[in-house]
Amino acid sequence: MPRLPARLLALVAGILLPLTGAAAQEPAARPGAAAAKDDAKESPLVSTEWLEKNLDAKSLRIVEVSVEPGVFERGHIPGAQNVVWHTDLVDTVSRDIAGPDKFTALARRLGIDRTTTVVLYGDNNNWFAAWGAWVLAQYGLVDNVKLLDGGRRKWEAEKRPLDTRTTEVAASTFTAPAPSPALRARFGDVLAVARKERDEQILDIRSPDEFSGKVIAPPGVQELAIRAGHIPGSVNVPWAKAVNPDGTIKSPAELKALYAAAGIDGTKPIITSCRIGERSSHSWFVLSRILGYQARNYDGSWTEYGNAVGVPVVNLAGTVWGGK
Amino acid sequence: MRPLTGPVAERSAPRPQDRASAGTAGRAPSRVPYRVLAALAVAAGLAAWAWWLAGQPGGARLALSLSFGALFGFVLQRSRFCFYCQWRDLLVEGDPRGLLGILAALAAGVAGYAVVLGAWMPDPSGTRLPPDAHIGPVGPVLVLAGAVFGAGMAVSGSCISAHLYRLGEGSPTAPFALVGTGLGFVLGFATWNPLYLASVSEAPVIWLPRHLGYAGSLVLALTLLAALAWPLLHRLPEPAGPRPRPEPLRAVFTGRWPVWLGGLAVGAIGTLAYLRVGPLGVTAEIGGRARQAAGAAGLLPARLEGLDTFRGCATALRDAVLTPNGLFVGGLVLASFAAALAAGQFRPARPTRGQAGRGLLGGVLLGWGAMTGLGCSVGTLLSGIMAGALSGWVFGLAMFAGAAGTLWLGRRTGHLA
Repeated sequence: MPRLPARLLALVAGILLPLTGAAAQEPAARPGAAAAKDDAKESPLVSTEWLEKNLDAKSLRIVEVSVEPGVFERGHIPGAQNVVWHTDLVDTVSRDIAGPDKFTALARRLGIDRTTTVVLYGDNNNWFAAWGAWVLAQYGLVDNVKLLDGGRRKWEAEKRPLDTRTTEVAASTFTAPAPSPALRARFGDVLAVARKERDEQILDIRSPDEFSGKVIAPPGVQELAIRAGHIPGSVNVPWAKAVNPDGTIKSPAELKALYAAAGIDGTKPIITSCRIGERSSHSWFVLSRILGYQARNYDGSWTEYGNAVGVPVVNLAGTVWGGK
Repeated sequence: MRPLTGPVAERSAPRPQDRASAGTAGRAPSRVPYRVLAALAVAAGLAAWAWWLAGQPGGARLALSLSFGALFGFVLQRSRFCFYCQWRDLLVEGDPRGLLGILAALAAGVAGYAVVLGAWMPDPSGTRLPPDAHIGPVGPVLVLAGAVFGAGMAVSGSCISAHLYRLGEGSPTAPFALVGTGLGFVLGFATWNPLYLASVSEAPVIWLPRHLGYAGSLVLALTLLAALAWPLLHRLPEPAGPRPRPEPLRAVFTGRWPVWLGGLAVGAIGTLAYLRVGPLGVTAEIGGRARQAAGAAGLLPARLEGLDTFRGCATALRDAVLTPNGLFVGGLVLASFAAALAAGQFRPARPTRGQAGRGLLGGVLLGWGAMTGLGCSVGTLLSGIMAGALSGWVFGLAMFAGAAGTLWLGRRTGHLA
């Protein structure tokens, strides 16, 4: 395809995009968030040290979103409340995030509103905590929501105290608006990029073997797609490259260099994608909240795209039905 | 150690089991308690293993599992906490003390779990279940599983946990029964899909506190246990004259504990293990490894419908060499071995053909029952009832009925003693 039409499209998209949900997009794309500041009020991350010092802060709500059941109950950060990602944050019948009513009830139970500082953390490198941050952001809870840098693992590794008692907080009066569409990419958005009808970038954060099409799913995970490979035009930067060995997120300068090497520098809107959209929330958080790039998460991810009929797919490994 | 070792060596010197300890510790001279030294060495090894594990990244849970397993194995061995032996004692000998011990374990555990669950889930009335508590589906398949498991107990001589502690005592039947259990699990996996589609998928998962609250569920469980204990308490044997007060060390390490004492300890261990690691259970590792091996051999259906979504002794495939349940079982067997050595109850024997056959056959029944019942007398019965699961009670009733029926039939036909 010649370059000119693509540029034209980009221009058109650039003009049109801000018109759709401009208000909700504003916080994520705000350039002020680009420089990660040390002040916990400004930064999207809080350190374990900061959190331990501020455990008793009045307007602080600590929320654990872990994958493994029983982890929270057997010891959590003092004052933390539990959110079960696969029932609390989703619609359990149709494949969707929790609707406004359900989310309102959850936020009220957790005592969360727009003025409280919410610190999310969890096991598994904060994957689901980041996913939780993405869900909260869609309901307008953006700047007051932080991730605990290094998550549960770092807190435990530093031998900081855990608690098994139940936390009781006063319910909030939060009422969820309709979820903002600006932080979530849909199948149609991704397909438009794949067909080069729209000039955006897709960041695929799965493992190189999944990306190339050698395997459909990571080891030990059910193959939920019919085809292997990736969405045309996407680039591969596995999510784990954004973190240090201790699980903390790398410095903004390192992150900028990491993504710039893959051609992602924030000049174009970005769509993050993985298998079911949860690991990609981690990269969404990094791009959107730490670097201040305009990023959306595609939660349909490969389990939607890789099952769709008649869409273009790149399969570098040349596998057929996941085999040779 | 002096007060313990002297009398032990003297008392048990002429008994045949000393040949056994001589096997591990060389020739046993008259006054040197090699057997006890060996027991101490095993205990020290277990402690060192736990210490080492605790220092590994993410190893705290593994170290705890090993420790709880060792504690559990020690208690089982010391108090002869064996569901079938106690049931048979009542049915054949008319001695209810063992069964009262099992009821004591349940009463202590039910109370302990209520304390933990009340903290973890202040409101039990929602749609949620407490994390990883063994609350399973209740239906005809559970009844069948319990009855078959009970039959396996009668045929092989005990349940899976008792075979494990008896492995530590050198039982000639236990190895065959455990191999049979593995085979039974494979059979269970092979029959799972039709059973699931026909029945289990529609069986309700009933957690009593959801309907009765914690207090109501606790009162109901304790009332039921008291009602079961009442007739047993009236059949207690006459005390056999005044007994000398045993020295504390001998009472703990060489004499048999009364079963009620073991029961109270089991209730406490069950509660603490649930608080820190997970509910007690001894079949997750056996089932998981059997599933892995059978899968590799191509003996399993490509997909076991719904199996991994149920609570209970999970057999989901594992990659790790050391798993919490594997260490729990390992600790159980080794601690029972150490306890049996110290008490002079390590008595290995060459298995007879009958023992091998009964072990294998009974083991297959145990394995099939534990697979389809999502746990055994420990995982489904003990941990289930303690957590307020109806499935624990149903499995328990079916298990005791299956064991009684098989025992009656076996005694009539002269196949069982």
